[in-house]
Amino acid sequence: MENPLTWLRLILVNLSLLSLLGASEFELEVRPFLEKHCLRCHGGEKTKGHIDFSEIKSMSDAESHHELWEAVAAVIEDQEMPPDDEPPLSDDELALLPNWYQKVFLSDIEARPTIFKPRRLSGPEYRNTMRSLFGFDLEVNVIEAEQTVAEKSLVLKLLPTDPPGPGGFINDTSEARLTTTIWDQYSYLTDVALERYFSDTETIDPETVLRDFLPRAFRRPVSDDQLQSILKDLADLSGESLLPALKLEIKNILMSPAFLYRGFSMPVQPGQSRQPVDPFELAERLSYFLWEDMPDAELFELAKSGQLTTPAVYRRQIDRMLASEKSISLAESFGKQWLLLDQITDDRGDPVTIHALQTQPRDFLYYLFTQNRPVMELIDSKTTFANHVTAAFYPGDRKQLKGVVRPRGVERIRAPNQQIELVNNPERGGILTMPGVLAMNKGPILRGTWMLRQILGEHLGEPPADVPPIQSSPKGKNLTFRERFEEHRANESCALCHDKIDPLGFALEAYDTRGKFAPVSKETELLIDTSGQLPGGKDFTNFMELKQILMTSRREQITRNAVERLLSYALCRKLERFDRPTVDALTTQIVETNGTWQDLIHGIANSLPFRETIINSSTTQP
Amino acid sequence: MNRSWNLDRRTFLRGAAGALVPLPFLNIMENSVAKNLSGETVPPVRFMTLFKPNGVHPPSWNINGGTEFDFRTSPLMAPFAKHRDDLLILDNMGDFGFSSHSNSSRRFLSGAHQNTKSASMDQLIADKVGSETPHRSLELTTEGLFTNQIGCSYISYDREGAPIPRESDPQLIFDRLFRDPMSDPKQRKSMSSLLDRVRDDAKSIQRKTGREDTETLDEYLTVLRETEKRLDNRDAISGASKVDFSKLERPPSPANLNEQVESMLDLIALAMWTDSTRCISYMLGNSNSRMIFDFLGVTEQHHYLSHFFRNFSRHNIDGLLKISLWHMEKFDYLLTKLKSYKDHHGTLLDHSVVLFGSGMGHSDNHTAQRIPIVLAGKGGGMLKTGRYLRYSKNQELSRLHLTLLQKFGVPATSYANSTTPLPGLDGGPFEEYRERPFQSWSKIENGKITVQGRLRMSDNLDEAKVFYIDVDGKAPVRIEIEFKDFHSFNVAYHVGTPILMTGNSSQKDGQIILSKITGIKSLFGKNDPGGAPG
Repeated sequence: MENPLTWLRLILVNLSLLSLLGASEFELEVRPFLEKHCLRCHGGEKTKGHIDFSEIKSMSDAESHHELWEAVAAVIEDQEMPPDDEPPLSDDELALLPNWYQKVFLSDIEARPTIFKPRRLSGPEYRNTMRSLFGFDLEVNVIEAEQTVAEKSLVLKLLPTDPPGPGGFINDTSEARLTTTIWDQYSYLTDVALERYFSDTETIDPETVLRDFLPRAFRRPVSDDQLQSILKDLADLSGESLLPALKLEIKNILMSPAFLYRGFSMPVQPGQSRQPVDPFELAERLSYFLWEDMPDAELFELAKSGQLTTPAVYRRQIDRMLASEKSISLAESFGKQWLLLDQITDDRGDPVTIHALQTQPRDFLYYLFTQNRPVMELIDSKTTFANHVTAAFYPGDRKQLKGVVRPRGVERIRAPNQQIELVNNPERGGILTMPGVLAMNKGPILRGTWMLRQILGEHLGEPPADVPPIQSSPKGKNLTFRERFEEHRANESCALCHDKIDPLGFALEAYDTRGKFAPVSKETELLIDTSGQLPGGKDFTNFMELKQILMTSRREQITRNAVERLLSYALCRKLERFDRPTVDALTTQIVETNGTWQDLIHGIANSLPFRETIINSSTTQP
Repeated sequence: MNRSWNLDRRTFLRGAAGALVPLPFLNIMENSVAKNLSGETVPPVRFMTLFKPNGVHPPSWNINGGTEFDFRTSPLMAPFAKHRDDLLILDNMGDFGFSSHSNSSRRFLSGAHQNTKSASMDQLIADKVGSETPHRSLELTTEGLFTNQIGCSYISYDREGAPIPRESDPQLIFDRLFRDPMSDPKQRKSMSSLLDRVRDDAKSIQRKTGREDTETLDEYLTVLRETEKRLDNRDAISGASKVDFSKLERPPSPANLNEQVESMLDLIALAMWTDSTRCISYMLGNSNSRMIFDFLGVTEQHHYLSHFFRNFSRHNIDGLLKISLWHMEKFDYLLTKLKSYKDHHGTLLDHSVVLFGSGMGHSDNHTAQRIPIVLAGKGGGMLKTGRYLRYSKNQELSRLHLTLLQKFGVPATSYANSTTPLPGLDGGPFEEYRERPFQSWSKIENGKITVQGRLRMSDNLDEAKVFYIDVDGKAPVRIEIEFKDFHSFNVAYHVGTPILMTGNSSQKDGQIILSKITGIKSLFGKNDPGGAPG
């Protein structure tokens, strides 16, 4: 490391975050335990289940893998690990890791915010921010004929697609570094925007332009000195030389770190390490959370006057922002990424069908998020959205749909969805039985895995690479896929995950690969077996019964997952050990009050990690 | 070589807005031409291709009768007929059979729809001619991707036969050609000064904060350093990158398809003239284009209208012909533009080869014969223009491709299904279509008719799905059939040729009508339609 201060800072950070006791316990007890019992299969050469303990060398490594330990403690407590062919654990050893986990990750935990870190705008955030700044969208010229697809946004077309960060969402750009490619595209996009912005202006007053532009671009007020210093450079220019110079000034602003990143300009409270974020940072946090966009004038003015932090004002702003069309980003970006909705496709790749299947859950989520609907309606709701393409999935209720007019000689159209109430189609309702979601996960295993990961929030490992294919029926026997699969997964280490996955997936077997409800098998003409038992002993005979179990005994787990995902999205980062109290409190509140998404959004916007930060000013240079 | 040209801002001619500005006739290429063995200067030869979607309405497109030098252009050719002396109109091009839309776009530059594992011919030419220019080639289009049958959206394919992404936005292309810091020294200078300034901003942030931000700022500063290095490296290279394009005018944002396409055609000509590239492929639409030409007053989709037999109405035929005429006007637009640029001792078109056409013939039943193919430009002497070549037999497109590849110096001995070049393009001998004498007659017995004579489509657009067989000394027999017959007997294939047809007959107002085909036999050609399904 070049800078000794960076070193010092790391040490200070670590000292301030970790209890010395936790660290020494890890070194003296946990690490030797892992080496003795786990590392042979989960480290170095073998990394079964893609779990690699050899990467975890210190307490700080252990902390950054905090989500791992809950599962590790559980398999040890349930005596699922180590497997039978390994030396058994003594009673002390049996208790060691679960106790350590309980103490370090659950009991000793105190909520605190994270250390402040600037973050580069994601692709969609950059697109929206440029749109808000300039008042127009940067678009590609392409003919969007029906049944064709084209990326219309010039920004999204040119910028490389952001990978999801450690937090699971693309707005966590902590690992999506700025590159020269991105730099070139920023430069180009800025040129294009400026060209258009000034294309039909006759007379330009640089001061008017910059007074308007500067604070909006930086998302905070700009001192008069700063403005004057730019104006000074332009003072002697006029006519043909003024415009290029002014463009360059604005380009300079839009290529500077203060625009491209969030947080570089937040003022620091002297002498305090933990502090509330300042009103402008708060306005930005709220606006990028709810709109994926910069604050608008109203929010900005409230930050400026100091009123934003007044609870009643803050509350009203959140409700106003949710009521705005811009909050579609909650469904478009958060919802889509959370539930992997952009993986919804159609066998034939038909854009009209794909459009219908993808917009249906989007519109449903948008309704839940913004119409004050309970969080659990994600799983069970009497309301859904459909258009003429998805209508076929709702034979009993499709009559509620108003017809769409197809212009003469136009073969197919993409029509908007309409809200319908489910009365005669009890097999639908909630996200799990939406045709697109069913079609995206083909077969019971993928459906079960998706439900476990995205809805119940379980961290499943990857299946081992050396699993043999599922055998076909032996001669003389006509076994169903389910029966053949039962034999296939009889292996103990497979059962570890498949006991959880399979009942969920097979419960949806009455829906075919395209999501159609077809409870009777075409081959046997018998009702398809959709029964099952969840680990822990809850029996069900079909998906409707499973849904009731999810709504009751799994309510807490589902809510907790929703809280974690939305909080992670709002904070643009991975949740940490010390976020657990925040998650616990929000989960309890929602579960106990049958809280709505709007309640949850308010809760997050008022939560400690959202409202506060830690500035490590000990390393600030004089 | 010193190429410090100063292009006038009026060099970029906008046609879409209708205002033509005086032609500059700058002889930009004078300094960049090569010399041949006898010491004469030789300008580079460029290759362009313009793809027309959805086939054609054959009676409007086909030239009836006529010979190599003595022919009358068809009604659909009217918009570009004024360039007759620069054209080589090819007829009887294609396979024998039907073509799907996606096969038709593959066939257009890859010779045959089965040729899916090799590069399209434009890319082979780009390999040959593209190394000296800033851009090896450009692949352009107008329309979004048709994902149901992705092949409909591509004509250019790479060495593995995989589709090459296309670009549709004229502004984006202009900027790539003329506003990229890597190609334009002024842009580099401006980027350099920008780097200096944002670096100062970043450093002042660094001084102010010094918090956790340092790491993120380091990442930012690193990118600034790397960008600077790239600019310096580029500045050190002499040659084409020194040309100052800053006075060229960026095309305005197009208001409709017509403006989008005309801007792109402007750019194609400009890119060629400035020697930014020597190979461009451009699709006027996907091969099954779903576009709506509302600016022509046509509100139905092009693809729907192109199935003019099945979706017959006079209104639909009118719409289809308006769209087709528009395509022909764009071809004319490109040729006019290429002629407007002086290039060496002639025009840009003299040193270019433009391949215009489609990948199927009849737009409703998708026959893969009499595919519209027109070559324009003399290609610096490669082609002898001003002629109409109607070959005696169907010629696969790959034969034409092989010929062009060889003329561009690609050492190919075969391409797709062809191992021998197509004769006649340079004025050499070829076997011209000659009609042999035949007799025409008709016979009616028990409601069955047998008729021999030349089959033709009605030239009355009010009945565009009707055919006639002309019989000497008698009224022509009217063929009024369902689509099923039309398609399964591939009636379109036989149009213009003598056949023997049998079927059910009836009479209405003295007119003999054949309403159901039971057999069809070509007097001199093939009979079995075969080939890929339509």
